[in-house]
Amino acid sequence: MPKTEIRVGGLGGQGVILCGHIIGKAAAIYDNKHATLIQSFGPEARGSACSAQVSLADEPIGYPYVKRPDVLIVMSPDAYSQFAPTLKPGGILLYESELVSLDEKLPEGVTAYGIPATRLAEELGRRLVLNIVMVGFFVGTTALVSAEAAERAVVHSVPKGTEQLNQRAFRKGLEFGLNLTGQGNGGPRHDA
Amino acid sequence: MTLEGYPRDLTCKDGTTLTVRPVEARDKDALLAFYRELPEEDRLFLRDDVTSQLWADRFMASIDYETVIPLLAVTADQEIVANGTLYRTLHGWTRHVAEVRLAVARPYQRRGLGTAMLRELVRVATSHGVEKIVASVVDNQVGAIRAFEKRGFHREAVLKGHVKDIRGHKRDLVIMANDVSHIWEAMAAMVADYSPTLGG
Repeated sequence: MPKTEIRVGGLGGQGVILCGHIIGKAAAIYDNKHATLIQSFGPEARGSACSAQVSLADEPIGYPYVKRPDVLIVMSPDAYSQFAPTLKPGGILLYESELVSLDEKLPEGVTAYGIPATRLAEELGRRLVLNIVMVGFFVGTTALVSAEAAERAVVHSVPKGTEQLNQRAFRKGLEFGLNLTGQGNGGPRHDA
Repeated sequence: MTLEGYPRDLTCKDGTTLTVRPVEARDKDALLAFYRELPEEDRLFLRDDVTSQLWADRFMASIDYETVIPLLAVTADQEIVANGTLYRTLHGWTRHVAEVRLAVARPYQRRGLGTAMLRELVRVATSHGVEKIVASVVDNQVGAIRAFEKRGFHREAVLKGHVKDIRGHKRDLVIMANDVSHIWEAMAAMVADYSPTLGG
């Protein structure tokens, strides 16, 4: 796998950093690849902007910063506005479809996949797991890490007692992503 | 409909191995037989007349694994020896709460089965995002109270003279509660996206 750069953006309290952490952990610990993570927070915790930069590669990674991501995961309108223009041409945008609306900021040739992650998380019982739904969605749409590795990373990253709900959240996002990309039961695809 | 993680094995204190699995449509007659075998004094404190065909029909129709989540403990011969059910609502001011009801066959009481079933029910409750689990127990059901306490429940309220026993004597109803919200607080802290040492 060539070096793939990923940025996760959203608001504090949405689990942006944990989302990036789990993707990197899945690749580095369970898929025997290399991964780096850079995290940044706003001056306040909940509700302020934050993002994670994740790089994945088969070889050791010399430069961990992500300037032009291949994959952008956004969970808030602000994160979309800030980071969508930085997506590489031909890149992939994964977005929270009930919070983010696509517009002309999206570079041409980008493939965009949306998921109502917050609603799906609420339906599972806890809004808190929307980031884990996004991890599953990322795996289902990009296959950059294996589903098995990602699920193990989820289970080994979340607090004791919450594993099962997080596992369900992961699988919900995975299934949604697989269906959307035609690898599951089929579904629409939106190309920007 | 499926319930993730099941069936799974469960071992009683005496080494007896049982299988825990969700109730399925095929279990209706066996479930009815299980409740009809319970002594009257055990059945008296149950909320419904669990020996009636009407109850069985309604109960089976209500199962959706989201708001009504029933588990069975069965022997290798598929004989039902315990039934525990979680009840929850998806809307309203108690949507974070689940109620647990549990019945264990007499030959399997005092063998740790009730405690083990409660462990499974608590696990299922947390996997559905529940923050608090409650159960109603009559004050003289000492074994049941002990089983609940072993699984983290505490006596939260007592309703004086709230139920009548088989002889018509009024007894206190104990509301046991298990607050599992701390696990969600841990999750909330993890997704706070805040580090006291990093910023900017």
